[in-house]
Amino acid sequence: MFHTVLVANRGEIALRVARTCREMGLRVAAVYSTEDRDSAVVRFADVAVCVGPGPARHSYLYLPAIMEAARHTGADAVHPGYGFLSEVADFADACESAGITFVGPPAAVIERLGDKSTARAAMAEAGLPLLPGTIEPVADAEAVAKVAADIGYPVIVKAVAGGGGRGMQVVTNPDDLPRQYREIRCTAQSLFGDDRVYVERYLPSARHVEVQVLCDRHGNGVHLGQRDCSVQRRRQKIIEESPAPGLPAELAEQMGQAAVRGLLAAGYAGAGTVEFLVDDQHRFYFMEVNCRIQVEHPVTELTYGVDLVREQLRVAAGEPLGLTQDDLAPRGVAVECRINAEDPARDFIPTPGQLTTLSLPAGPFVRVDTAAVAGGRISAAYDPLLAKVAVWAPDRPQALARMRRALAELTVEGPGVATNRDFLLTALDHPQFVAGTHDTSLVGRLTDSYSREET
Amino acid sequence: MTSLMEPAQAESPAPLAEALDEVRRSAQSLLADLAHRPRALRIRAGDVVVEMEWTEGQQHAPATSTVAPLDGPPPAGPPSVGQTPAGGTPAAETGAGETPGGVDVTAPIVGTFYRAAEPGGAPFVAEGDTVKRGQQVGIVEAMKLMIPVEAGTEGRVVAVHAADGAPVEFGQRLLTIAPAAG
Repeated sequence: MFHTVLVANRGEIALRVARTCREMGLRVAAVYSTEDRDSAVVRFADVAVCVGPGPARHSYLYLPAIMEAARHTGADAVHPGYGFLSEVADFADACESAGITFVGPPAAVIERLGDKSTARAAMAEAGLPLLPGTIEPVADAEAVAKVAADIGYPVIVKAVAGGGGRGMQVVTNPDDLPRQYREIRCTAQSLFGDDRVYVERYLPSARHVEVQVLCDRHGNGVHLGQRDCSVQRRRQKIIEESPAPGLPAELAEQMGQAAVRGLLAAGYAGAGTVEFLVDDQHRFYFMEVNCRIQVEHPVTELTYGVDLVREQLRVAAGEPLGLTQDDLAPRGVAVECRINAEDPARDFIPTPGQLTTLSLPAGPFVRVDTAAVAGGRISAAYDPLLAKVAVWAPDRPQALARMRRALAELTVEGPGVATNRDFLLTALDHPQFVAGTHDTSLVGRLTDSYSREET
Repeated sequence: MTSLMEPAQAESPAPLAEALDEVRRSAQSLLADLAHRPRALRIRAGDVVVEMEWTEGQQHAPATSTVAPLDGPPPAGPPSVGQTPAGGTPAAETGAGETPGGVDVTAPIVGTFYRAAEPGGAPFVAEGDTVKRGQQVGIVEAMKLMIPVEAGTEGRVVAVHAADGAPVEFGQRLLTIAPAAG
């Protein structure tokens, strides 16, 4: 096992990773930008290094600074968390070259699975079902039109380098295609520095169901069931739960096996997620692979009783998986809500600022992952995730009741600071969500009515 | 993508330095040809990228001029820092910021501080030396990039806080300059 783990991230996930490191007796090295000088993980860590100014590209995304911090702190492993450098193949590569273990899959695997085009090819080869569309990037708008005519509108044009719900464009009307095609190429170029795109059929009302997988470096892989993340606002997840409600056991098992098969075939090691869309006929289609720990991992930890960060570290240290598929049986239902510092009444604009009051939910079977503290600040330099509230209960109705209770306990106050708490409560009470029959179109319909009420 | 490790390992420093010089010259001639100065400039030749950014209102001199291998984000902030970098507040533990009666020069990046251009060489500056604004007073090495540290003000070096070869954090106080009167 490692001696010192550098946590190359910030916010709640940095603290969450640091906590498991501490439990495992590993020395914790934190990095921080000048914006995060007084952050929770800096106080928690055994050693902390300032790596740059507020803007992430000069600090958390700046590879030489992170590598120097690893060297200075004597880290023998780097945990990248999610976002920032977590899925940057060069970072994994740089760690390897410096003799530091990158807690994640090998650089070549990140490279292949991070590119949606090669990821689709790899998963198709492993026998996973894809949505009708192209595997190779499409060269021009005419080619897109041809594919779209073949598979039928609506189609979705996606950046090959995209991910995390960014860099995609739904086309419903052939007349709009040339303009939308130009727009998505531009967006992809500016977001990812890569304007290649591909096309697939768009399912307007599918469910987003993902499979948590763990692979070791000895060719073993297991899955830890499904997470349903269909409650999304503009493709950003806000409520996640495990297991996926109403998913037939046989389908769940098929998806789990497919995910493990796909990742093992790709040479995966560590914790990874395979995202699928499930249509109303209960057909599932591969969407993308996330080569990192995910924001919503707590719901899997709660239902399976497995510390995924601990497993990541064990696998990275070369240890074989301590779990077999037969050991892994989920218990009960876990739900997570993402509390964002944003204002639903003003089209969800982020509301950074000082927190004068912060009172977090607690009590039976409630887990709160946050780095926020009363008196602290929500920085405008980073994403507005303020806290993740997760609950566990033996069944879904109890879990939803518990979540409502927990969210009602939350108080966040500060000049100019708002949260999406009430919006989450509205979503939790929607009859479709309560019945577990909702799909990814739920929030869009809710926000439409929300803005109507406001005007 | 090109790894940041590669140029330093695959090539001797000489071709890299030549490439940098070449890119620098190209940048200068390009800028000379422009009627208006751009907000930012990025020039790439093979494995070498030069990026420059100008802050608002500064008319002539580049505010930031940084050099990084291909595809790496630019190093943070201007090399000569008299004030705390944008968005930050001075922190006692790193010693960034102002010292009474002096202007601090702080580390532009996390790395290793060198007081001299080569091991055993004469230091760029010593206590009591007078320096001009923009004069090089040290180097911070990060991932084999040598990032010059420059005086942000004209004056006299009254204290050197970091030892040669010391690991430094971003924003850490390296030396203090008492500004020249007037």
